[in-house]
Amino acid sequence: MQILPRHYVFLGLFLLIGITMALDISVDVKVSPYTKKMHAYIDSLPEGSTLIISFDHEASSLPEIRPIALAMLRHSFQKNFKLIGVSLYPEGTLIGYRLMKNIAKEYDKTYGDDFVYLGFRPQYIAAILAMGESIESTYPQDYLGNDYNSIPMLSNIQNYDDIEAVISIADGSLTTHWIEYGGQFNIKILGAVTAAMVTTYDPYLSSNQMTAMIGGLRGAAEYEKLLGMKGGGSRGMLAQSAAHLYIIFLVILGNIFYFRSRKKGGKS
Amino acid sequence: MNRQIPLIVCFSFGLVMFLQYFSNHTISRSVNLAILDYWQIIFAFTLIIGVVSFIKVNLTKISRRIDRPYLIVGLLGMISMPFMALIWGIKADSPFMWMFENVQAPMASTVFALLAFFVASASFRGFRARSLQASILLGAALIILLSRSNLPLPYTEHLSELADWIRNYPSMTARRAILIGIGLGSLTTSLRVILGIERTWLGGER
Amino acid sequence: MIILIAAQSLFNSDRLATFLISLIAILILLYTTYFQKRKKPFTIRKINGLKAVEDAIGRATEMARPLLYTPGWGGDIQRPTTIASMNILSFVAEKTSQYDCDLVFPTHDPVIMSVAQEVVKESYSRTGYPDRYKEHNITYVSSSQFGYAAAVDGIISRTKPASIFLLGTFEAESLILAETGNSINAIQIAGTDSTIQLSFFIVACDYTLIGEELFAASGYLSGNKSILASVQAQDIMKILIALFVIVAVIWATIESLNGGQLSYWWKF
Repeated sequence: MQILPRHYVFLGLFLLIGITMALDISVDVKVSPYTKKMHAYIDSLPEGSTLIISFDHEASSLPEIRPIALAMLRHSFQKNFKLIGVSLYPEGTLIGYRLMKNIAKEYDKTYGDDFVYLGFRPQYIAAILAMGESIESTYPQDYLGNDYNSIPMLSNIQNYDDIEAVISIADGSLTTHWIEYGGQFNIKILGAVTAAMVTTYDPYLSSNQMTAMIGGLRGAAEYEKLLGMKGGGSRGMLAQSAAHLYIIFLVILGNIFYFRSRKKGGKS
Repeated sequence: MNRQIPLIVCFSFGLVMFLQYFSNHTISRSVNLAILDYWQIIFAFTLIIGVVSFIKVNLTKISRRIDRPYLIVGLLGMISMPFMALIWGIKADSPFMWMFENVQAPMASTVFALLAFFVASASFRGFRARSLQASILLGAALIILLSRSNLPLPYTEHLSELADWIRNYPSMTARRAILIGIGLGSLTTSLRVILGIERTWLGGER
Repeated sequence: MIILIAAQSLFNSDRLATFLISLIAILILLYTTYFQKRKKPFTIRKINGLKAVEDAIGRATEMARPLLYTPGWGGDIQRPTTIASMNILSFVAEKTSQYDCDLVFPTHDPVIMSVAQEVVKESYSRTGYPDRYKEHNITYVSSSQFGYAAAVDGIISRTKPASIFLLGTFEAESLILAETGNSINAIQIAGTDSTIQLSFFIVACDYTLIGEELFAASGYLSGNKSILASVQAQDIMKILIALFVIVAVIWATIESLNGGQLSYWWKF
């Protein structure tokens, strides 16, 4: 790092991302088989199916998580699913509620009939296991303080047996807990995760413990393309591609310095 | 005796949770639900330990003039947020939410965004073709990066296929092997705790 | 007949395979712990990261700088990785007490903090230096992921520890911490069960314990027979799994070569 001070590397990346974001150009992306599988699975569910959307993230990852969450919500509301929102991180609770409420408004959905937000429960493992026994016992009231029994769309929902699938929107490893603990109840788990976490879930995806997954800003851009709309995902693609190229440039530069210093007999 | 009681409690609950997993009986299900409820309640109480410790440690350090400005800001945040939540609630447009959206979220996002900068510096420093193995790693990284860059390259299609192959075979094989090792390590550690062989969590007795 | 019905209602036969595998695992662990350990001593292969532990503590002592140890944001105390990390902490604390080196332990979880305080206090007492124990060095900083990352980064930047131990369950904060440690030229020993973060640690840290090495570490460092016995149990289980995989692969290959349908008996 002595050859090129860290600060210059940081400054270069900052300028590159700043400029490409300011350009606000959408880049066309090729849809990957992973995203196609996710889209096809959600599309194949019958109208009126009940899904849990779990906002398992913190505020920090919102720039990456938001386009993914919006794509999931839009597709679900387009398909007229009944959505139950939960959050296993305190910071994701309000974010999830706002996202659900705003997108529900776009599709004229009514709270209590078409979607409901149950909010946060501490200790994610205990919460996931408890919902497998009884969602009502885990959430006697929804996020707004309404009794579980008073919410029309929950009248026939007891536990995971009445749920078609869980979509875990996560910036960390919480989806793993949905797979490992929720999976005991034979519920389908769908992952909508940040790019850094994608390869973590590959083994679960290939063993069908996870049904489908989309990952990162690129996953969001691909999903937006399948839904036929523009969003944060496709807008961020230029910056992401530029950052990838910048890192490739840095790797090549680092190796040039390395081989030059080795030729001179010095140490890198 | 003060070590024996926690060990007995640990063993009993470990055994109950292990056995209930294999039963569909209503009693077993209700025992499970009750334990899960208590688990969540106990967790909420542990946060009090954190808050008390945070205040105590920060006050001690402030009185010793160690990192004073940082600790004062930390303490103010710790006191002001619950204070605002108690007085004005946490609904939209409340001061609590204003702080959450305009202070907490941007600060957390900023620290998260640092990751991109550190990935850049770590790539520059770490990805060197020092040996055959390192060169293979470097090649794989470049293929993955290029395939995700949306560049109109002549062989984009093949590059994506190659990247998916790397992800689905060599990468996943290694990941699975590591996962099996971790799973077995977790299993034996958990069994050691339940059977009372492992006692470090009680504060020592290696 | 009544007994059979009662037994069926008591036992979930879908989980018979899991039950049998669990029993085998328990028996193997008990065998290695109570019978095998009485025989010849069991040794673990050389793990470079663990050989460097004492050097790292010595370096901090010589430079009169603190040593920082953190178990990451991703785990809580019931996670086996955290328990393994506490075992290593116990060893590290013994050494820092003997060398009179400051041990700083920031964490995101109040329970981990309490356990770590007990572990360190006990280690200091065991070596005969209880007066060197500083409770305020073992602190809870924040439950928020990047609040924790910022706090630990701040501590690293201000106290400039000579050695940093990143051992536990890490998520996206891993590289942020490791790169900050690298920027102050600290010697860094990392280890995690999070496969995606391993790649970051390998690039940014001096030594990395990969997955199960973290579990073996405490036995390796302390020479504790019970822990070494459980490492031996893991190896026996690993051999059984490998044999199972080999048999299943050969079986599937023969079945597919014969042109018949795969029986999938291994998917019990």
